Amino acid sequence: MARLVDLAVSAVLLAGLYATMAYGLGLIYGVLRVVNLAHGGVIMAGAYLGWVLYGWVGLDPYLSIPIVVGVTFLLGMGLYRGLVRHLPRGPAGGPASLLLLFGVWLVLRNAAYLLFTGNDQSIRTAYSTRAISLFGTWVDASRLAVLAIAVVTPLLLHAILWRTHLGRAIRAVAQNADSCTLVGIDVERIYTITFGMGTALAGLAGLLSATIFSFNPGFGSGELLKSFVVVVLGGLGSVLGTGVAALILAVVEVFAILVLPSYLTAAVGFVMLVLVLVVRPGGLFGQRVLG
Amino acid sequence: MTSPDSATNPRSSSGAPGGDAPLLATRALSKTFGGLKAVDAVDLELRQGEILGVIGPNGAGKTTLFSLIAGSIAPTSGEVQLRGWKVSGRPAYKLVRAGVVRTHQIVRPFPNLTVAENVTVGAIHGAGRAPGPARERAAEVLAFVDLADRARDLPGTLTLAGRKRLELARALAIVPEVLLLDEVVAGVNPAEAMRLAGLIRRIRDERGVSIVMIEHVMPAVMSLSDRIVVLDHGKKIAEGAPAEVAADPLVIEAYFGKGAGGARA
Amino acid sequence: MRALLGARAAIAFAVVVAALALLPVVLDLSPYDRNLLTLAFLMIAGSLAWNWMGGYLGQVSFGHAAMFGIGGFVAARLMMEPSPMPPLLAWLLGGVAAGVFSLGAHPTLRLRGPYFSIATIGVGEASRLVFTWWEDFTGGASGLSLPIDIALKARLYWWALGLAALVVIASFLLRRSAFGLQLLAIKADVDAAADVGVNATFSQDVVMVLSGAVVGLTGALYASFFAFIEPSDMFGFDRSIAFVLMSVIGGVGTILGPALGAIVFVLLRQFLLASYPQLYLGLYGVLLILIILFEPLGLTGLGLRALRAWQRRRPHGGAPRTVAAP
Repeated sequence: MARLVDLAVSAVLLAGLYATMAYGLGLIYGVLRVVNLAHGGVIMAGAYLGWVLYGWVGLDPYLSIPIVVGVTFLLGMGLYRGLVRHLPRGPAGGPASLLLLFGVWLVLRNAAYLLFTGNDQSIRTAYSTRAISLFGTWVDASRLAVLAIAVVTPLLLHAILWRTHLGRAIRAVAQNADSCTLVGIDVERIYTITFGMGTALAGLAGLLSATIFSFNPGFGSGELLKSFVVVVLGGLGSVLGTGVAALILAVVEVFAILVLPSYLTAAVGFVMLVLVLVVRPGGLFGQRVLG
Repeated sequence: MTSPDSATNPRSSSGAPGGDAPLLATRALSKTFGGLKAVDAVDLELRQGEILGVIGPNGAGKTTLFSLIAGSIAPTSGEVQLRGWKVSGRPAYKLVRAGVVRTHQIVRPFPNLTVAENVTVGAIHGAGRAPGPARERAAEVLAFVDLADRARDLPGTLTLAGRKRLELARALAIVPEVLLLDEVVAGVNPAEAMRLAGLIRRIRDERGVSIVMIEHVMPAVMSLSDRIVVLDHGKKIAEGAPAEVAADPLVIEAYFGKGAGGARA
Repeated sequence: MRALLGARAAIAFAVVVAALALLPVVLDLSPYDRNLLTLAFLMIAGSLAWNWMGGYLGQVSFGHAAMFGIGGFVAARLMMEPSPMPPLLAWLLGGVAAGVFSLGAHPTLRLRGPYFSIATIGVGEASRLVFTWWEDFTGGASGLSLPIDIALKARLYWWALGLAALVVIASFLLRRSAFGLQLLAIKADVDAAADVGVNATFSQDVVMVLSGAVVGLTGALYASFFAFIEPSDMFGFDRSIAFVLMSVIGGVGTILGPALGAIVFVLLRQFLLASYPQLYLGLYGVLLILIILFEPLGLTGLGLRALRAWQRRRPHGGAPRTVAAP
């Protein structure tokens, strides 16, 4: 029973993280039709940012959420205005945007190596290992905190997209950017903000991950892959779809850990990807993300 | 590169079922998207050497019909037959190699290839039905549509009319038996439209291609077609010679709404 | 005209290859220089093969290290005890193994553009993990040591040159052939290509297998060259990045750009490892960004621009200019 609770907590926690990350990737793709290959790098940046704030200023990681989200948001806007904006949109720009953002990822990785060395780090606060009793077993406080935040975030995002003016504009641009200019929506501004939101989600996911996992500058490639799996499985623009897909991935992973040696579990993400592609390329909810 | 294998190429099979089978036929062809019946039990026949016009108000399912015939999408029910043999459900490229070629409503030239190269890609798959190397056959087709002087240019430098002729050339290079033209004449100025219409007639007369054409430009479709089929909301509502169809009250109603029966189109 | 250009280029190519073949003998090259050239030849072959997928077909792979590694380890295993095979046979089998593996990656071809690329990251990473774990085959983290054969290492110069020359010829033939034209059509618009009779699935598989097999062959020769290989290097993400970079630097999609890029890359890498080892990832990144933003066709693009500028300043004969040139 205790084991089960532990596994369940792990699964939901991972699901929340994956959903947050996937939303970050999916938002940028859905609106700009650009795959943010620097996604993993920003996740890593979020982790290091939180770690630095904790180490230098002693700022509790959960309190530093606004700062990390803010910084990665600005980073994303800067990336868009400085670099991505100049690329041709549409199929012609495909490989170009990929390679450009890949270059950004390399730069981020190198910066992290230079600033922080390649050693594994993590954010351990005084209460990280404090356990809370839950259904008869003890669960780490930090894991519960991350679980709560990671589950709330996609819901918050959904609220933004569906209940605010900005959200409506974003969804409109995602559907048909050209028509939006006709009704006076500043499409470039929406692109900039959306890119920033995507990277902010990635940064948040990175920060949260840092409190429970260890990380190094190479962190993020596995996460990029998993975000991608969730986006393909769950389809674009559906919180439910993303959530369910994230949960499925998390559950599979949690059980895989029981059976496989630890460093093979990263391969699980990829195997799932191939399975999804072969079995149901349209995703669970039929929203085509491919081709 | 490869010639159509005899299993998919009905032309090489001996004894089609029913000696008088039309060249192309759809039998109760239907396609449903979600809850929407885009094409609803359409029966249609194309006879050898015919130009069949397909008209109907916007959203009537005409392009979907073409996509079904060409194999780009699979039917929900019903069949497409080539000389009596069932060809529906096969991938598009196999149908092309069997001689059923379509053009697109919004032209889709390969932007990274020159005009000549665009046509050559088609000529590659017309091998086996016409002698000679692909490049030479491509040149001949380019001359036929009067684009020979633009052979080395990129499609982006052509006018819309030029790109439409390019799309036609590319289709012709495949040496089709059935050509599905999707609004070829629309969107160009009247002079160009006449030129394209003339080209279409020559394609049937000089190259022996049977044609199905979707068109909104009424003068063109009325003058070119031997017969016309009218679709509305996915269903066939009328069929016959152009003059009959133009006078059919159902057709007038489909285009102009109820009560328009008194007014002439 | 076209035939003449072809003949001239072919002769020039033959001359260059002959010159390179004679170089070590005529100039009495030091082992260091000879090794550098050997490596360059291998990378030329690898990057050109990568470009068949990334440039001609337009499917950018970030996972070619998987094929490189498989080719290398299969060949290495075959050349080790208990029954070592002759190197050529081992290399070819390495290439074949990599080709077969590529076929296994077929499902990823359903993906278009960026999604394909991300999937290939997965292929590369999953391969690295699995092969690192498969110690019996790859020696795990400690890697494999091949029997040292100094004579073979010296001869590898010519083997590598031969491979590079073959791949260059193949690249030309592929690009100029009917098949190559179909690849470009698929790259532009896969659905329209199908509407013109192109069997996209089959064509993509063929390119993937060819590309994978050649890169595997490159890995196999690489294994003999260094006589020691380990999974984290052969299957590593840096290895995959290298293939991408070489083609981008030289000019993705051009016939010879990747070859140029390979040469630059090998030299650049030597320089960076010697002088700024801790910056090389970041420099690659900056290079990628600059190239994409300013000259997507890389060095080949720069070369074309220079050529056009030069042509404008010196017009060849014909109608007299009405305006005097500055």
